[in-house]
Amino acid sequence: MTQTAETPMVELKGVKKRFGNLEVLKGIDLKVDRGKIISIIGPSGSGKSTLLRSVNNLEVIDEGTIMLDGVQVNRPDLKGLAFERHINHIRQNMGMVFQHFNLFPHLSTLENVTLAPRKLKGVDARSARELGMELLHRVGLADKASAYPSSLSGGQKQRVAIARALAMRPKVMLFDEATSALDPELVEEVNQVMKSLAEEHMTMLIVTHEMAFARDVSDWAMFMDGGVVVEENTPERLFTNPDQERTCHFLRKHLASQA
Amino acid sequence: MDINLMIEIAPLLVKAAWVTVDISARALFFGFFIASALVALRTSRFLPVRWSARAYISVVRGTPYFVQLLLVFYGGPAIGLRLDPFTCGVVVGAFNIGAYMSEAMRGAIESVESGQSEASRSLGFGRFATLQYIVLPQAAGLMIRSVGVLAIILVKNSSLVSIISVVELTYQAQRLTGSTYKPLEVFSLSALMYIVIIYAVMGIVELLYRRATRYTYL
Amino acid sequence: MEFDFSPVITYFPTLIKGIGATLLIGLVVAIMSIIGGQIVAVISLYTRKVVNWPLRFFIWLFMTTPLLLQLYFLYFGLGQWILIPAIVVGVLGLGFHYMAYNADIFIATIKSVSSGQYEASRSLGFGHYATIFYIIIPQAFYRAIPQLGNNMIIMVKDISVLSAIGIAELVYLSQYAISVTFRPFEFYITIAVVYYLINVLMEAGQSWVERRAAIRK
Repeated sequence: MTQTAETPMVELKGVKKRFGNLEVLKGIDLKVDRGKIISIIGPSGSGKSTLLRSVNNLEVIDEGTIMLDGVQVNRPDLKGLAFERHINHIRQNMGMVFQHFNLFPHLSTLENVTLAPRKLKGVDARSARELGMELLHRVGLADKASAYPSSLSGGQKQRVAIARALAMRPKVMLFDEATSALDPELVEEVNQVMKSLAEEHMTMLIVTHEMAFARDVSDWAMFMDGGVVVEENTPERLFTNPDQERTCHFLRKHLASQA
Repeated sequence: MDINLMIEIAPLLVKAAWVTVDISARALFFGFFIASALVALRTSRFLPVRWSARAYISVVRGTPYFVQLLLVFYGGPAIGLRLDPFTCGVVVGAFNIGAYMSEAMRGAIESVESGQSEASRSLGFGRFATLQYIVLPQAAGLMIRSVGVLAIILVKNSSLVSIISVVELTYQAQRLTGSTYKPLEVFSLSALMYIVIIYAVMGIVELLYRRATRYTYL
Repeated sequence: MEFDFSPVITYFPTLIKGIGATLLIGLVVAIMSIIGGQIVAVISLYTRKVVNWPLRFFIWLFMTTPLLLQLYFLYFGLGQWILIPAIVVGVLGLGFHYMAYNADIFIATIKSVSSGQYEASRSLGFGHYATIFYIIIPQAFYRAIPQLGNNMIIMVKDISVLSAIGIAELVYLSQYAISVTFRPFEFYITIAVVYYLINVLMEAGQSWVERRAAIRK
């Protein structure tokens, strides 16, 4: 498949995933056009995190196809080392941000950001440093370059994790509940960084609990429950006037718990 | 206590203690490679390979080191394996401690939380690079401590090679008791030397541990 | 290279005797070192320094020197002043050695029982010693079981070392058979197999005990 401006950045078709007898993804279709932002909401256990992790093969799907910019991500035809090479290459084009940050505790903030460009792209130490400092500056943490993760707050950690993912110049960013593990007062600083990415038209796929934020930044919103997409629409519509009773119920419950 | 006698026999015991250190250090060195190989074999794609590594570890851990030593030294020639006592001590020590060490290393590797590997893989690092850059540096601290415990066991186990007449500390202590009839003096001095060796090992381990985990308090 | 296991069969009764001796020594040493270790731990934690410092010194000494050196000291050393049969030296030596290791574990588990337990017991009206005996020690014992099991599994393997001071257990009796038949490989392989089986059984026993003890933790 050749890439054109119309080729979606990420496209999932009929994605199914089972854990033992439990089917957690029951045939998901999803399309993210370049420069667009899609948010996925839903109760815990709905399969939304599994879906996001499937996109870069941290979870291996059982059926369906996943495409990144016209290239197939899951390749059941490739085995062993051949698949390993393929997926490592694919993953270099996707940035992933985790709920629990997963910063490398044995590396300084700057080293966390520069490790992948240096080792995987062969960027020399000086350019890597410049790139790292630029990205840290961008997430507002240039002054913490030589600090180690253990000395950072949760919000700072997550901002470094975003810088680390950006350092590989990814085509798409995947956010897996990036603010769920943070104290409420630290959520905003991470949201700000994500908003600034949105303004630069970074393609993003966001799994979140933050309804207000999702509504604010997304171009499209999806509600998942029980391994299926129950409803998808523009955020204005989905959050204020959903078509499905289940969506309505979820949003009401969620609002009540936040109040 | 006969202090003069102790001064007199001290050089002999120091020399024997050096043999104890030598044999243990060599066994630890080769044991480390055996352990690394076993850890790698246990993650092999092929079931028979994984299974053999596990069986080896289980058998070595399930039988006495002393019997292993006697089997190789006295039984070895029957299968064409003739080793001099010192080499036999090193080889059996290495293969023995290697099995224990592989378990310690695997434990340390598994103690690094899975999120670390996931983060590394999501950046595009392969399995080996993930191990090299992310997992091993974080497992190093725990690994050093457990290997240190094993090194101490190795030093104490090395006393058993006296049975195949390697002139190390325990052998010398026994011989000197026979010739001086002063067991208390001989054994206190030998015990002291074991204690010095063991505390030296503990000191080195602590230094290495601090170096490996420096990042936790930077 | 050819193997001939028929001498092993010929000397089967001898081996059985050796296995019996090994198991009996193991049982005696296990009982002695667990009960003794418990007592040593309690004394070294709850008595004056005059009493517990020497005790702690011996625990430390037994743990920082090799078993064989300790056995030689008892056998060749003490043997010069008083005549003790080898079997007594062997059982006592192994017993003291593992008593020290077990005491070390008990000390740690006793310390790990929270002070909240002590306070709760005192608030019910138990005295200081009653609290130690009825509340702290039983809890510490259950916590110690996994490590005690490990120690006893290691201990049984160390019984083979007793052959060095001439105790007629499995290895020593086999060495006699070897000196007659000249088949060291076959006999030592057989010993290894026997030990491996004992080890497997002990590990199975350990996990059974641990499962049962887990309920009381």
